[in-house]
Amino acid sequence: MSRFEIYSPEGLRVDGRRWNELRRFDCSINTHSHAADGSSYLEQGNNKIITLVKGPKEPSLRSQMDPTKALLKVSVNITKFSKTERSKTSHKNERRVLEIQTALTRTFNKNVMLHIYPRTLIDIEIHVLQQDGGLVGTLINGITLALIDAGIAMFDYISGVSVGLYDTTPLLEVNSLEENVMSSVTLGVVGKTEKLSLLLVEDKIPLDRLESVLAIGIAGAHRVRELMDSELRKRAEKRVANSTN
Amino acid sequence: MSSIISIAKRKGAFQQSIDAGFESGSEDEDVNMSDSIDNGPTHTQESNSTEGHIVTPGELVTDDPVWMRGHGTYFLDNMTYSSVAGTVSRVNRLLSVVPLRSRYTPETGDHVVGRIAEVGNKRWRVDIGGKQHAVLMLGSVNLPGGILRRKSESDELQMRSFLKEGDLLNAEVQSLFQDGSASLHTRSLKYGKLRNGQFCQVPCSLIVRSKNHTHNLPGNVTVVLGVNGYIWLRKTSKMDMARDAPSGISAPGPSNGAPIGAKTLRSSDSVSITRLEEESSWQIYSDENDPTISVSLRQTISRYANVIKALAFCEIDITHERIVSAYEASMVYPSVGSLIDREVMETIGQDVLTAEKMRGTPS
Amino acid sequence: MAKDIEFSTSENKFILDALRQNLRLDGRSFDQFRDVDIKFGKEYGDVTVTMGKTKIHCRISCQIAQPYEDRPFEGLFLISTETSPMAGPQFENGNSTGEDEVLCVRIIEKAVRRSGALDVEGLCIVAGSKCWAIRADVHFLDCDGGLLDASCIAVMTALLHFKKPDITVLGDRVTVHPTDEREPVPLGILHIPICVTFSFFNPQDTEENIKGDSNAEIAIIDANLKEELLRDGTLTVTLNKNREVVQVSKAGGLPMDALSLMENCYKAYTITEKLTDQILACVKEDDSKRNQYAGLLSSENARDAT
Repeated sequence: MSRFEIYSPEGLRVDGRRWNELRRFDCSINTHSHAADGSSYLEQGNNKIITLVKGPKEPSLRSQMDPTKALLKVSVNITKFSKTERSKTSHKNERRVLEIQTALTRTFNKNVMLHIYPRTLIDIEIHVLQQDGGLVGTLINGITLALIDAGIAMFDYISGVSVGLYDTTPLLEVNSLEENVMSSVTLGVVGKTEKLSLLLVEDKIPLDRLESVLAIGIAGAHRVRELMDSELRKRAEKRVANSTN
Repeated sequence: MSSIISIAKRKGAFQQSIDAGFESGSEDEDVNMSDSIDNGPTHTQESNSTEGHIVTPGELVTDDPVWMRGHGTYFLDNMTYSSVAGTVSRVNRLLSVVPLRSRYTPETGDHVVGRIAEVGNKRWRVDIGGKQHAVLMLGSVNLPGGILRRKSESDELQMRSFLKEGDLLNAEVQSLFQDGSASLHTRSLKYGKLRNGQFCQVPCSLIVRSKNHTHNLPGNVTVVLGVNGYIWLRKTSKMDMARDAPSGISAPGPSNGAPIGAKTLRSSDSVSITRLEEESSWQIYSDENDPTISVSLRQTISRYANVIKALAFCEIDITHERIVSAYEASMVYPSVGSLIDREVMETIGQDVLTAEKMRGTPS
Repeated sequence: MAKDIEFSTSENKFILDALRQNLRLDGRSFDQFRDVDIKFGKEYGDVTVTMGKTKIHCRISCQIAQPYEDRPFEGLFLISTETSPMAGPQFENGNSTGEDEVLCVRIIEKAVRRSGALDVEGLCIVAGSKCWAIRADVHFLDCDGGLLDASCIAVMTALLHFKKPDITVLGDRVTVHPTDEREPVPLGILHIPICVTFSFFNPQDTEENIKGDSNAEIAIIDANLKEELLRDGTLTVTLNKNREVVQVSKAGGLPMDALSLMENCYKAYTITEKLTDQILACVKEDDSKRNQYAGLLSSENARDAT
């Protein structure tokens, strides 16, 4: 812990960012056009994830068929090599992963217009190739991009971001070094509003500091939304230019 | 990666106006608002979205209450928002957003190619690449032994001998159910089981609905462009020639699509079709391929399949003319297999577009 | 949870309509926590918590074990939850992979174990070789909503109530003194986390929720089973009396305005204060009841301490 200076007096963090700087955000959509209806590849700092959306499709089991709306299924595959040390277990049935899956399913259940796809299944698959803190936020962004790529109707973007609290300074988007030594908050923000679809606080934070942490988190999430939006528009313009008049 | 993505912290309560936060970044000395894509999505506010304007989910499309809200939108009070990423389309009073990519949504009259997924009670379930499987009722197919035959119980019992799981067929969307799934029929000789060729799939948004979806291509190949993005390439059969000749839409250029027999067929086309119908006994459900397909024809078929994939790769809409044009452009590569290289696919796509520009817009 | 419980449409509608008119089916106000009843068993660390019809039993037990290699100075602490069809038909026997069960278990785990409510360093006996392993077994006896809140109270009360046998260490020899021989010692509790669960309902359309700015969503505290089945979203805030947020979990569900979420946190704090006082009072009362002869035996105790 003492080897690193988490936040230097000059206001720099371990990886050279300032308190209010996001990590590098690179995304692309339609990366696996043959394997899935919608797909995205997202790098948020050193987090690297592939998201595949399959559907809306005919459910393979009758029990998955709901006559009023579509069923949304999220599965997260955290690869064994995603951290510096290879993990011995595939994290498949870990409670932590199950919790993340449930949280993601419930987040998007309210945002995707499931009622217009009755009797179908929307299958979301995420592969985490590399992780470096703030994973849940990255997963949210990956799913949002892939769902939009699949042309599935949703009310708005959901953008995810994590914020740490170091002493009294909120630090936007923590990496794993920072995540290990301070408490962090994960937010899932709906579009350009200040509504939170997902809010997870995992460690102790003074109640009176929470508000400032949320404020910077919301601002960061809005920025992430813009970055995703500009990538989508770039793709869309290319596609429109190619289509027949 | 030099661009730094930084965030200005908004002061005070959450309730401040949302946009103000980013623009007023300079109030804090810690903040540097350097980024390359600052004015990217700001045109949201203009909202005078014209035809073909690109919108993304949650974006305000219009605040004018006169519009009827179609697919891809939702509304609150007078405001209409987009729910997908796509282009705005206005037809009379109907405002909808067409997504750039999505699963196939069937419409009555569509010519589709499908695959039998399940044999059920008096019906087949057909995978047509849509959100749900389509239904093909036993009563909506032509059965061997004449068109005006009654369906008997023995037909129900031997449904698998007509069409079984995995069989490909082309059909027309007869009607839609309440939940958007389709009911198909194959009550015409141009529909039915597919043979003598190769299957190929592209995103359905690349296929434009048109009057005719079966085209005879140069090289004795016929393509069935299903509106759902499923494509079947096969050896041109006698019936294909018969169909193409009288309709007058002959293949462009001096193709061999309408060969020597065309004239004679033209005079007696109606007769020939009825004759074919009579002949269509069990043969229309045969699983046997034509034994006379030559190696060169097989190569031509796979060349067509590869150029179609190349067009799809470049996200170019697939039409009859473009397939022919891409096929011609691909002739510089003698090996069919080389067509799946990334650069080659891009070159072919480019060639097609430039060829089109030189010729003037075809549409 | 509750895959099997289904209500008639009219009952659903009735409850939601009532909520729109600021009424709850059981007559409580929106931010009223149900009365918590805490009962102790004969042994230390045996607690039954009742909230309305919800009933949770928690039993603490301890044994001597070997600490983890990477943490030689820390004892072990395990929380195990058991769901059985006893609590309601929606639970399966021995299957705790349902969405709600997993969330519930994870939140208790985060709130109590990961937040360091129990002083695990105080459980160390001989560094690297012997330590106390404390185990909390939570049983859901009856379910009428608010399982999480009740479980958290039950675990924390049980931990406060529990006393482990006294030991003496002589070199490598550890002697465990039976409780009738020497007064057992309580566990070191660093803070008392209290979970408060909010349930959200959307009285209008989804469109209004996403795009409108009326923020008319209804938030109620401590929903009962029927309300839990109908809710659109949930938020669990865990706080302690030191004004620290221990854990917050809003795993999806209805999007809520950040400001109203903050308000909920402040509301939760007042409830936390009240419940903490109640728990401490209960434990103290039970303690004095057990020790009613302490005055008579005080001299013996004094000798013990030296």
